[in-house]
Amino acid sequence: MTLTLPEICTAEAVAALWQGQMAQVACMGEGDALTLDADAVKAYDGAAEALVIELHRCAATQRFAIRCRDGAGMVAHTLKVFDPAVFADHSRADVPKRNAHIPVQLGEAAVRIWDDARDQLAFLGEATSAIFSLIIRPGRLRLRDTMLCFERAGMDALPITLLIGFLMGLILAFLSASSLRQFGVEVYVADLIAIGLFRELGALITAIILAGRTGSAFAAELGTMKVNEEIDALTTLGLPPVVFLALPRVLASMLALPFLSIFAVFAGLLGGLAVLTVIGVPSVTYWQHVVSALTLANVCIGLIKAVTFGLLVGMVGCAHGLRANRTADAVGQAATAAVVGSLVLITIFDGIFAVLFYVLNV
Amino acid sequence: MENPVIEVQNLAAGYDGRPILRDVSFTVRRGEIFVVLGGSGCGKSTLLKHIIGLHPLLGGEVRIMGCRVEGGGQDERDRAIRAFGVTYQSGALFGSMTLLENICLPLEVFTDLPPDARRLVAEMKLELVGLKPFAGYFPADVSGGMKKRAAIARALALDPAVLFLDEPSAGLDPVTAADLDRLILRLRDTHGITFMIVTHELASIFAIADRCIMLDAKAQGVIAEGSPAALRDTSDNPAVRAFFNPRACQTKN
Repeated sequence: MTLTLPEICTAEAVAALWQGQMAQVACMGEGDALTLDADAVKAYDGAAEALVIELHRCAATQRFAIRCRDGAGMVAHTLKVFDPAVFADHSRADVPKRNAHIPVQLGEAAVRIWDDARDQLAFLGEATSAIFSLIIRPGRLRLRDTMLCFERAGMDALPITLLIGFLMGLILAFLSASSLRQFGVEVYVADLIAIGLFRELGALITAIILAGRTGSAFAAELGTMKVNEEIDALTTLGLPPVVFLALPRVLASMLALPFLSIFAVFAGLLGGLAVLTVIGVPSVTYWQHVVSALTLANVCIGLIKAVTFGLLVGMVGCAHGLRANRTADAVGQAATAAVVGSLVLITIFDGIFAVLFYVLNV
Repeated sequence: MENPVIEVQNLAAGYDGRPILRDVSFTVRRGEIFVVLGGSGCGKSTLLKHIIGLHPLLGGEVRIMGCRVEGGGQDERDRAIRAFGVTYQSGALFGSMTLLENICLPLEVFTDLPPDARRLVAEMKLELVGLKPFAGYFPADVSGGMKKRAAIARALALDPAVLFLDEPSAGLDPVTAADLDRLILRLRDTHGITFMIVTHELASIFAIADRCIMLDAKAQGVIAEGSPAALRDTSDNPAVRAFFNPRACQTKN
C-alpha cells in the first residue's frame, strides 16, 4: 500500500487522509508493507507530524514494514523530534476516565452530600463559636462591613422584593376571591391575605429572593477571594476568615430578611387591596379585616421565620464560598450549591416550624 | 530581504483614549527571538495586548505575516489571528479541563481531525514541552512552571508561525526559568517559530534574545533597540544603563 502526502500537508488534508486511509492501515499485518510518499511535501504542520507518528506506531504494533520517500526531509525531521515509541498505546492511559456507572455516581453523590452536611455542621460550630467570642469582645465585629453587606443584601433588594410581594398579594387575592365569592364572603380574602403573608409567605418569598440574589453572591465573592489567596492571607495575618468575612455577611443576612419581609408583606397587602377594590370591597372594610385578623403571634411567627431563614441563607452562602476549590468553575459551583442548599434548608425548616407551631397551638 | 513576520508601524497604544505608548515601530524576522523589555509600568504588556488585537490601536498599524490585525476587515484579522499563539502571565489554562483537553480544544474548534488524531497531536505538543506524563492532570494540580509550559503547548496547538509570551519566567525559580528558556530556544530551532517575548528578567534576556527593544514610561516609547549585549555595553541612555546594571547605578548614587 502507498500513502502519498500532498504538497500542502496541513490539518485539512491530514483530516481527509486520516478518515480515508487509516481504516486500511488498521487492516495491515505482518508481511505487508506501507510506502509513505512524502516527496512532494512543501508545507506541513503538527497534524502531518501526528500522521507520521501514527503510521510508525501502527507499523510497530501491527508488525508491517514501512518505507518512506522523504525528499523534503519532513519524515526524518518529525522522527528526529518525536519518538514513536513514546506514543505507544499503553501510554494513552494517562487521562482519568470519568466513571459513568450509575451505582458509582450515586455512591459519589451520597459521599458528596455527607461531606456537605459535615462541612455545614463544622461551619455552624465555627460561626457559633465566633458569635460567642463577639459577645465577649464586641469590638471584633466589623460593623462597617456588616452595614455594607446589609445595604447590598437588604436595601438594594428592596425594589424586587416590593414588586414580587405586590404580585403575590394580587395573585393570592384573585385565587381566593374566585372561591369565596361563591359563598358571598369575598371580604374574608383580606383575612386570608393578612394571615398568609404575615405568618408564612412574606418570610418565604423574601428568603427565596435572598437565597438567589445574596446567598449566591456571598458564595461567589468568598470563592473568588479563595482563588486569589485572600483567605490564606487573612489566616496568616491571624484574622479568622469566619469572624472577618462570614460573620458580617451572616449578620447582615439575618437583619436584611426580616426588614425585606416586612416590606414584602405590606406590598402584598396593597396587591390584595387592589383586587378587592376592583371586585367592590371598600378599602376601609379591607383594612378593618386585615387588622382584626392579625395577632401578635402571627407577626412574631413571621419574624422568627425571617430571622431563621436569613441565618440559613447567610451561613450556607458563606460556607460554600469558604470551601470552594481554587478554580473558576469551582466558584460557579459554589454559587449554585449555595442557592440550592439554602432553598432545601429553608423548606426543611419551614416544615419544622409548621409542625412546631401546630404542636404549640399558636 | 525576506518579509518580516511582525511589522509594527507608528503604533500608539493606551486605554480610554489616553496614550501610554506613542510612535512605536519595529519589525521581527522569521525565526527570531525578539524581546520587549523595560521596567514595571513602562507599557510592555500594553504593547503586547495591542499587537494581538485585544485592545484597539490609538494609531499606527500592526501586521502579522502580512495581515493587518486591525483595519483590514474580518477575513484579514482572522488570518492574522490564526498565525499566532499567545501565552499569558498566569498561563490562563482552563481549570475545568485536563492539560490534554486544554490543548485539544483549539484543534476541536478549528480542524476536522478525528478525535484520535486530535489526541495524538495534543500528546505530541505536550511531549514537546516535556509534559506528556501529566496529560491527565488538571491545571490546579501542576506547578507554576508546568502551567507555563502547558500554556505554550496550547498556544502551539494550531502550529502558529509566531508565539507571543507575556512574562514567561515571572514567578519561577531560576532553574525552572532556565528550563523554560531552553524550551523556547528548542522550539525556535526545531519548528522555526518566531517569538516575541515580554519580560524584564535579565538572565532570560541574555539567554534567549536575538534582538530587543527597551520601552520607557517617561519617553512613552522605545528608547533603545539592538542585541542585549550591545545595549548593555554601548548604550549611553541612563535608563538603559540603569536597567542592565542596576547595582552599579545604585552604588554611584
